[in-house]
Amino acid sequence: MSTQTLKRMSSERQRTSKSYNRKRGTVNSKTPPKGRKKHLSLFSVGMGIDLPFLIIILLLLVIGLIMMFSASYPVAYYNNGDSLYFLKRQLMFAAIGITLMLGISYIDYHILHHLAYIFLGISYFALVLVLILPPVQNVHRWVGVGGYGIQASEFSKFAIVLFLARWGSLYYEKMNTIKYGVMPALTVFVSTALLLVLEPHYSGIVIVLLLTVMMLFLSGIKTRWLVMAFIAAGVAFLIAWATGILSYAMTRMEGWGQALEYTNEKMWQTTWQTRNSLYAIGSGGFFGLGLGNSRQKYLYLPEPQNDFIFAIVCEELGLMGAIVILAIFAFLVYRGIFISLRAPDRFGRLLGIGLTSQIGIQVILNIFVITDWLPNTGISLPFFSYGGSSLIVLLAQMGVVLSISRHSNIEKA
Amino acid sequence: MSKPKPGAAQTLSRRSALLLIILILLGFGAAICRIAFLQIVKGEELSQKAVEQQLHDTEISAKRGTIYDRNGKPLAQSASVWRVVMAPAYFEEDEQREYVAENLAKILDLNYEDVLEETKQNSYYVNVKRKIESEEREQILKLQDKIEEEYGIKNVIDLLDDYKRYYPYNELASSVIGFTGADDQGLEGVEYQYNKYLSGTKGRLVSARNSRGADMPFEYEQNIEAEDGNNIVLTIDETVQAICEKYMAQNIQDFNVYNRGCAIMMDVNTGEIIAMATVGGFDLNEPYTIADKETKKEIDAITDEKKKNKAISEALTKQWRNKAISDTYYPGSVFKIITSSMGLEEGVISTDDTFFCSGGMTVGDREIHCHDTNGHGTQTFEQAIINSCNPAFMQIGAKIGAEKFWEYYQAFGFSELTGIDLPGESDDIFFSQDGSMLVTDLAVASFGQNFSITPIQMITAVASVANGGNLVQPHVVKQIQDSKGNVIKNFDTKVKRKVISGDVSETLNGILERNSKQGGVKAGYVAGYRVAGKTGTSEKKVDLNDDGEEDYIASFLGYAPADNPKYAMLMFFDTPVGGAYYGSIVSAPVFSSIMEEVLPYLEVETEYTDEELENIDSVAGIYSGLTPSEAEQQVQSDNLVAVIKGTGEKVIAQVPEAGASVPNGGTVVLYTDESSAKETVEVPNLIGYSLSEVNNVAAAYGLNVSVKGASTTSDALSTQQSLPEGTKVSEGTVVTVTFAAQTGIAD
Repeated sequence: MSTQTLKRMSSERQRTSKSYNRKRGTVNSKTPPKGRKKHLSLFSVGMGIDLPFLIIILLLLVIGLIMMFSASYPVAYYNNGDSLYFLKRQLMFAAIGITLMLGISYIDYHILHHLAYIFLGISYFALVLVLILPPVQNVHRWVGVGGYGIQASEFSKFAIVLFLARWGSLYYEKMNTIKYGVMPALTVFVSTALLLVLEPHYSGIVIVLLLTVMMLFLSGIKTRWLVMAFIAAGVAFLIAWATGILSYAMTRMEGWGQALEYTNEKMWQTTWQTRNSLYAIGSGGFFGLGLGNSRQKYLYLPEPQNDFIFAIVCEELGLMGAIVILAIFAFLVYRGIFISLRAPDRFGRLLGIGLTSQIGIQVILNIFVITDWLPNTGISLPFFSYGGSSLIVLLAQMGVVLSISRHSNIEKA
Repeated sequence: MSKPKPGAAQTLSRRSALLLIILILLGFGAAICRIAFLQIVKGEELSQKAVEQQLHDTEISAKRGTIYDRNGKPLAQSASVWRVVMAPAYFEEDEQREYVAENLAKILDLNYEDVLEETKQNSYYVNVKRKIESEEREQILKLQDKIEEEYGIKNVIDLLDDYKRYYPYNELASSVIGFTGADDQGLEGVEYQYNKYLSGTKGRLVSARNSRGADMPFEYEQNIEAEDGNNIVLTIDETVQAICEKYMAQNIQDFNVYNRGCAIMMDVNTGEIIAMATVGGFDLNEPYTIADKETKKEIDAITDEKKKNKAISEALTKQWRNKAISDTYYPGSVFKIITSSMGLEEGVISTDDTFFCSGGMTVGDREIHCHDTNGHGTQTFEQAIINSCNPAFMQIGAKIGAEKFWEYYQAFGFSELTGIDLPGESDDIFFSQDGSMLVTDLAVASFGQNFSITPIQMITAVASVANGGNLVQPHVVKQIQDSKGNVIKNFDTKVKRKVISGDVSETLNGILERNSKQGGVKAGYVAGYRVAGKTGTSEKKVDLNDDGEEDYIASFLGYAPADNPKYAMLMFFDTPVGGAYYGSIVSAPVFSSIMEEVLPYLEVETEYTDEELENIDSVAGIYSGLTPSEAEQQVQSDNLVAVIKGTGEKVIAQVPEAGASVPNGGTVVLYTDESSAKETVEVPNLIGYSLSEVNNVAAAYGLNVSVKGASTTSDALSTQQSLPEGTKVSEGTVVTVTFAAQTGIAD
């Protein structure tokens, strides 16, 4: 662990430590006892990780795996001849992810402060690489590694949050200047967005935009900049629309909000997935059809294990199940922000809040899509949707938040 | 931006809190509201649609019931065939689509482009072809294996159970049985009338199926099995029907009948229809092919597409039409049976009354002729019927009066549908709705002119005269059985009302029997049976075939046995244009021919007169292996005459062969050596002679003659011979010769 980093951040850390400790009345000193620092244990007061946060993550992961298995086995059975096909793979991804998460939780997150540019570099490299590689299902999104596809944009989201957290912590005094506040964020966003347009991966752009705006907002930028950013985004969208770059996205937009009405055969096919998602949700009622009893997963709802998994959750577990799961997600976001706010430095706070909020944003967008409030664009549900790269990156990010929690000044279970 | 430092952490806390509130309240809250709206408010509607979709493809075809004749021969049955369906959503590459489309097009004889278009749909259920046979099915199964081998995709093509309707007897009773459409629904005849019973209930798999139509691994609810359709047993007898159609087809050809003919055979006591033929019919297996070759040729010659389609549709409508119940006609002299019944029942005439005919009669201001313009003179009631004298019946009609005539007209069921269980029964056309008639109307109506009824109405009314006065409801269905053969419903005799007394019935039966047996033309005479009958020649008052001559309908209505009537048959030929058009010439002989075969088949007891007994056929015995003298003795004891050919010691062959029927006193040729056995004679022309002339000619050639038809009528001439002139046959061969009266009554 780098002592320089700690030293550099010490002033702020001391201040926050003091203020919180005073409130709680716990005994603490300016520097933690040597023994504790050396022995980073899993759960302990002081340098242990936040147990509630870890439990929530594991809880969501277990529920997610069960639901993913339930949703995927008919498709796996009919298409792959093995009901356990998706479950086996997802379990492997989860195992890798958990190992990575726990490993990362032992690493001092401050190291990321130095690695921000490297990660950004890797992000750009990956985004360019997918454009060179042959397309999968007509889009350039994945880098194939030994039969597994890695989605480049999953990594980019993390890289951007990390970069903006670093920037926000270093230049928080100059956030409202164009040079230190607006330009870096804009540069990173626009360059990433352009690469995503080429993939094309529009839902990725939307998430990156929301993350950028959120990070700037947390960094203390004046709201007028954000208003201007949204106006700029609107103008860019109009230009793109007018020039026809958005042709792919436009086809995804077709039929948005009218999945239940038959207009013509082509439209009926286009809205097939959304319509069957609505059928699934509607079939659930208050208490659902029971775990494993979804009917819509029997090939009516295409790829029920991916973006539309929550429709199957709603069908099987009903409104009650949906509320419980969303409450757990909400608690995860709350706990993540709670932990991060008590991080010893601004970098940790911004990074932690950014990473946990990203989960909240994705959950909300995902549910808006499956309920036909947003066009059907490919936003996965964290911990639930099948997919190796997103699950592993997600758990790695949680590892970073756990690492932050080790340094956070909170009472740990 | 001077002093942000102290506020920076606060700003972050504040903004984090704000972010949390936005995410949880606006984001998660809105998401839950949306889900609650979909599940609670729209839940019922959406789940209903989901269920509809899940059950969408789960209909199970029910097997349509079989139609049997009264003896259990299947006339219409459904056989298992298959339906080819495709789930093109499984295709991954165009190469696979092309491969499958090419093979499907080849096996199923479809257009490649069309199939290729279907393979591009993103669907799990596309109907490729219905009703394929087992041969095609085999090939499809092989193709399935090949697709899996080659491309590793399963379930792209599937075969589902389907049924196809077969009619084993093709044309037989086509207008009665009817046929089915593409969806197995009855379109004509019994198939249409009893569709409800035949079609069964389609099954539903209430347990959900996946979107490819395959069963889900487990079920949620019960299955409702398809219920096979009920079987229908007709009153029609296939054998009788076939005999009727055979003779009618021949007759239509012989007399060049322009607009087809029909025959109805009915059990007068029960109303059961034993046979109902409209000839020419059509092949039930190909109802949309125009059966009449000439019509087909004419239509093929039409170049204008629109006119051609119109002509085709008209021709099809015509060939499907059941003349026996859909055509209306002036009943003509057959109706005199009814007029007689009215008069006798009302007591306005008696069998002792006499009627005078001067060859015509003035009614109102009109002179109405008899068919015999020389007049019949003074005649008894019975003679008036045998003469079919129009003035006599005009006088009877006048005695009955218009009011009573209309009353009886209604009582005999002419003003209503008979209620036969077939579609397309027509209404009568009487002079006026309320039954009022002019004097001239009544006069011509008395002998069956100027009002129209259907053949089924005519035979039903005469059945009531024959059976002792009960008007029964005719029907073609005897029984409905479930698919396992258990009886569900029997159709019993339904007597509508009693129209005339048993005495009047008996009187008329006697008169009509004598009309057939002893009358001048012996119309409808069948040796060995007591047949009662009446001819009819009705004017159509139109000229449909454009030959410049008025069209006629030649009809005959007879029943047997006259002392205890059981079977009635109405023959009806629409517009014979071969010259003769009298009912006595065109229809009566065909009635006789049919009855000669049908009555023995129906086991109606014979009652020969002495004269008939003499002419009855003998049966040749087995004479081979005997010595010539032994054989000769044997032949004599069989009431036959032996002619021995050759010089051998034993009989090695005989003509006619053992078991063949030979007229009494006929010749049996016995061959005793090989060389003699090869001698043949040529059959001479036997048409156009009287009975004695035929016998002489045949004897000269060494042939036996079996006589059919009204041979004993004074002016009867032979009209047909069973072996054509010039056929090389062995001596002793039996040639059947048919006779018919030449100067029929022009009634």
